[in-house]
Order: sequence, then structure tokens, then C-alpha cells
Amino acid sequence: MDELLEQFLIEGRELVAQGGNDLAALAHDPQDAAAIDSAFRAFHTLKGSVALFAMQPAERLLHAAEDILERARKGANPLDGDAVTALLACLDQTDRWIDDMERQGALPGDAQGVSERIAALLTATPCEDTPAAPTPDDPADWIATLMVREASAIAQANAPLTAFRYTPDPACFFRGEDPLSVVEAVPDMVALAILPVDGAWPASKAIEAFSCFSILEGLSAASLDVVRAAFRLQPDQVQFAPIAPVEAVRQASESHGESRMLRVDSARLDAMADGLGDLIVAINSLTPLADTAQQQDRALALTIRSVQASIERAAGKLHRDLSAVRMVPLAPALRRLPRIARETADSLGKAVTLTITGETLEVDKQIADGLFEPLLHLLRNAIDHGLETPDQRRAVGKDRDGSISLSFQRSGDTVIATLSDDGAGIDPHRVRQTAIARGLITQEAAAALSDAAALRLILLPGFSTAATLTEVSGRGVGMDAVQAAVARLRGTVEIESIIGKGTRFSLHLPANALTTRLLVVEVGPERYGVSLDQVLETVRVDRAALMPVGGGLACVLRDRTIPLLDLAALLHLRGVEGPYAKLLITQSSGERVALRVDGFGERIDTVVRPATGVLASARGVIGSALLGDGSVLLVLDLPELAS
Amino acid sequence: MSVRIDGRTILLEGRCSVEDAETLLLALQEQPDASVSVEKVQKIHMAVLQILLALKPEIMGADASLFLSQNIFRSLIWNSDTGAKSF
Repeated sequence: MDELLEQFLIEGRELVAQGGNDLAALAHDPQDAAAIDSAFRAFHTLKGSVALFAMQPAERLLHAAEDILERARKGANPLDGDAVTALLACLDQTDRWIDDMERQGALPGDAQGVSERIAALLTATPCEDTPAAPTPDDPADWIATLMVREASAIAQANAPLTAFRYTPDPACFFRGEDPLSVVEAVPDMVALAILPVDGAWPASKAIEAFSCFSILEGLSAASLDVVRAAFRLQPDQVQFAPIAPVEAVRQASESHGESRMLRVDSARLDAMADGLGDLIVAINSLTPLADTAQQQDRALALTIRSVQASIERAAGKLHRDLSAVRMVPLAPALRRLPRIARETADSLGKAVTLTITGETLEVDKQIADGLFEPLLHLLRNAIDHGLETPDQRRAVGKDRDGSISLSFQRSGDTVIATLSDDGAGIDPHRVRQTAIARGLITQEAAAALSDAAALRLILLPGFSTAATLTEVSGRGVGMDAVQAAVARLRGTVEIESIIGKGTRFSLHLPANALTTRLLVVEVGPERYGVSLDQVLETVRVDRAALMPVGGGLACVLRDRTIPLLDLAALLHLRGVEGPYAKLLITQSSGERVALRVDGFGERIDTVVRPATGVLASARGVIGSALLGDGSVLLVLDLPELAS
Repeated sequence: MSVRIDGRTILLEGRCSVEDAETLLLALQEQPDASVSVEKVQKIHMAVLQILLALKPEIMGADASLFLSQNIFRSLIWNSDTGAKSF
């Protein structure tokens, strides 16, 4: 993809998010001066950015929006609720257009019409007579746009540059002038662009061959005086601006205490993480080496161990630093949610207020990236199935607008994402009936479930069927997609619901995902890894304490009976019978389950590579880990095995 | 005359002056999908260049003597058919 476009996709979306936040503040208080200022800057910069691409409808729309904010800023026309709604529509549309630019590099054919329709919303607000055309004479505008457009030329320059904008008199050709020749006379040119006077090139029929309809903007390495001299015959048609070299700009911004940001392709970080993983594996191989040395030369073994310890310390620091680099705020991953919430609610004739808190929390990039999909699904589901219609809400004495809040909290190494709505709640009785009707569970099993456990039935594949899926939250997947997406991130889903009051989904996810702490377990002749995240506890019980229940086994742990499964049997291996049963306690579908193993091995910190090829289709395998001695350890997915 | 029409190709040659702008415009109005060869252009007037930028015909013609030392104008013409209004 074009580098400029790539940059625009990132920055444009950041600006949309910024504008969205400001408008959210303005929705509460339309006179919030700081929010008006900030929104104005976001719209203004967005307008400058879209001007670099064939996005004229977006440019015109943003210009109209900017104008409204500008008047509000000057106190000429205070904002009202309608104006904020119209501005939001304008921002949402720009966001959609940015998506279009990413998908197909151009705006869809209806862009002009859409732009006019939304612009009409804007002008319907008290701010009338909005000029539709951009004002090219605004000096800040052309300089900012030029600096973005010529960023690479400016970056390569190590001395100050002089920018000029030359708007030839339309009749200049008749006087025998050739603006191109004038510009050719500018010494040390490093960049030049020719732009249409009206923001867009005229159509073939509208062209007048002898009228100049171009603007020439350029950058020269010569000084302002020298460049000015080249235009001495057209002094009133040219504007100039000194452009500081990037180094100077950077130093200036440093001196203002602004942070220096570096955008790095995340694939490079992934490669570093992989390399670090290999390093940790290599360090682990020192342990058996020290053990071997121990038998020959104890002093040597001691030296190896102390060397190993210092390498481990250094690698540990590197790991922490790299983890910190990979930590990204959640906000960018969530920026599309407010728009989707509005669109979803609109399509269902509902109204919703989405409040997001804690989005500045930083989590591993993998988690931030993986969180969007399940949250999107939960959000759509909450609007579609959770919230009642405005009429129903009024009838039960609730606000007409539904309210959904999404919050993020950090608790130790865990990030908890909570999405709650104030809708109708989920009726566990109906969930049981549906699950029975779909053949997911027997009547007896359903009756035995606690209400909390019954709610979890909605996460089962096959619970949502075409009949219950609307166009909105449907898309052919049910809530099991949420469960699966969260499980891929090694997280868990919790559901709480009070009928009539609302529903709360909590996603518990690891905040750091680089390396995984594994417990090695022995099953018959084999060794497997299990993620310690999935192990609630390990216990050793007398074999006599295992009780046959129905066709299987159970054991009593802290006065609770929990089902027990034999890992050897699940893996089609022959287990070893000993006097004690060693149990891994895990949680599957919200219930505790014990898995019997033959022995517990060491705990290791390592990189788990996702299962690929044949392994990917194997049930109950998350991936593999390379051990210090070069052998490969399969890493099991306990909840999946136990389900 | 620096504008010559050869079938579906419009050839610009030598020094294209302000008078050539109208000829080029008419030729492109007649054949909107014609290609324009700039291979033999030595110098181009703003009036001619802005028509190429506005109508974005397919530009042909490999490297030839440049009318500006930095090769900037050439890239301007080439980039103009990407649909972006600036480059």
C-alpha cells in the first residue's frame, strides 16, 4: 500500500477517535470550551489529511463541520444537541470513508450524495450559510497540508526549506506569462505540486484552455529571499513560509517536553519476541548441562549455574522491556465500537448510550488486537437481545435510551473487560428450555444446573440458531464465537444477569501474553505442558477418595464434589496406577473439573507457539513449546479437554 | 505545431506553448480515452500541463530530455492519473 495512505489510515482514525471523544463530552455539555477547541483541531487536521487523497466529498463535509465548530469557538453560534448529533454523523461517515479508502483505495460512488445529505444536517442547525468550498487562502491550511504531503522531502532535508504557494492570476496566460517557467526559475527546488484552484480539477467541458486554474506549491532549499526574488514579478500571487528541518522540529518538540513516538511494524516486535523465546529456550538448556557437569566437576557445575543465573537475569530484563514495548493502550482497538453501537441501535429502532472507561489501560498487543472481535459481538448482542425497545423501556419506567458501559480494569496479571447493559436481563429458566429444545442438554442435567451455570449455556455452540439470530447480532455465529475468541487469548467469560435490570459479561484475560508459565505433567510415558493460567490448583489425594459416580469418577475437594476425568484416557494413553491420585483442577464451562495425571514435573516459562498444521486440528491442543533439550512439548488446553 | 494526432495517440513534441493548450483540449474532448505521448516534449507550458493534470489521459513516452532538472514535472504528469488531486 502507498506509504502516505498507510499513514493516513492510522492518523485519520486517531483523529476520528479524538473527535469522537470530544463530541461525547459535548453531548453532555455543548458549551465545553476545551472540548470545542479539541474537536475543532481534530476536524481541521482531518480535513487537511483527507485533502491529500481523492476524497473531495469528505473534505467538503469536514469543512462544513469545521465551520460550525469555528463559530462555536468564537461564541458566534453556540452548539446545541442537534449540532453535536450532526457533527457526530459527519465523523461517523468520515470513518466509513476511511474504511473504504483502506478497502478499495477510493470512496464509493454515492459519496457525493452522502456528503450533501449530511452537510444538509449540519446546515439545518442554527449555523446557516455554511460555505461549501474550502478556503484555500487560510495560510495555516496550505502549510499544514504541504508539510504532510511533502513529509519525505522535508525529512530528507537537513537545512531549512522555503515553501511557496503560487496562485497565478487566471488571466496570466494572456499576458504571456507561464507560471511553470516562473517556478522553473526557483533555485534548489526539492518538491513541487500542482493543485486545482477549486479543490477539484474541472471537467473536460468546463475547461477554458486559456485560463489558469492551477495553484503551484513547492519547496526549495534556497532561502526565503532567494525564492522571493524568483517571484518578483508576481509578488501579490505568492505566499511563503519557512519550513524547519525535521531534526529541528524534533528538537523543538523535545524541548517542549512532548513525547517522541516511534511507529514500528508489529511484525518486527513479534520477530523479537520469537527471538527472545529462542533465547529463553537456549538458557533453559543450561540446567541439564549443569546437572551433567555436577557428576564430573562440582566447581564447574557451580560456575555454570552462576553464569546461567546472570544470563537469566539479563534475559528477564529484556523480556520485561520487550513486554513493555508491546503494551499498547486499548483505546485504538475500541475506536470503532461507539460508531457500531449507534449504527446497530439505529437499525433496530433503539437508542443507546455507550460509555467506555479504563480504555487507557495498556495490555499486550496480542490481547488488544484479539479483544475487538468478542467485544463487538457482545456489544451487538447487548443492543439486539439485551436492550428493550424504547416503548418497552418506558413501560417499565426505564430511560428511553438504553445504557451500555464497557470498562477495563487491571487486576494483577489479568485484565478484566466488563460489558454491562441495563436491559431486560437473561432468564435462566428460558435459557434452560432453549438448551433442552436444541438438544444441547438433557432435562435432568438442566434442572441440576445452578442459575449461574444455566446462563453459561448461551455460550454453547448451537445455542443460538437462525431462528433467534437477527440480522444484527447474527452473522451466522452465536455467543460461542465470543467464548472461542476469548479462549484463544487464554481468557475466560463470566456472565451475571438480573432479570429486568440487565446483564454483565466479564472477560478475564491475561495482560501479558509473551511467554506462558507452563506446568509439565506426566501421563503414562509422555510429558505434556499445561498453562498455569488454566490450573486452579494441583492436589494429591488418596486413591480411595475417588468415588465412582454414574459412569465416571468424582472426588470431594473442600466439601464440594467435582467430576474427575482421567487425562490418560482422554489422550488414549495407558496411565500408571499409584497409591495416590494427582489431580489438576481446572475450570471448564464455569465448573470445576479435576483431571488425573501421573505426575507433576517442573514449571517453565516459555513461548508457546500456536498449533499449526496437523496439530491445529487436534482437539485439546493449544500449541507446542520447545524445551531446553530440544524436545517439543505439546501444550494441552485443559478446559477443552474437560468439556 | 507541437500537438500531433496519430490515431488514438496524441503526440506532444518540442516546445509546447500556450496555443497548444486549446488544440490538446479539443483533441482530448474528441477522444477522451486517447493516450498522450510526451516522449519528445522539450518544454511544456502551464496551460498545457494543467489540461493533462485535469483530464488525466494515459501518458506515454519514456525518459527524454527533461524540462526541469529535478525530474519533478515528469513525475507530476505520471502521478496525476492515480486520481489524487495532488501528489
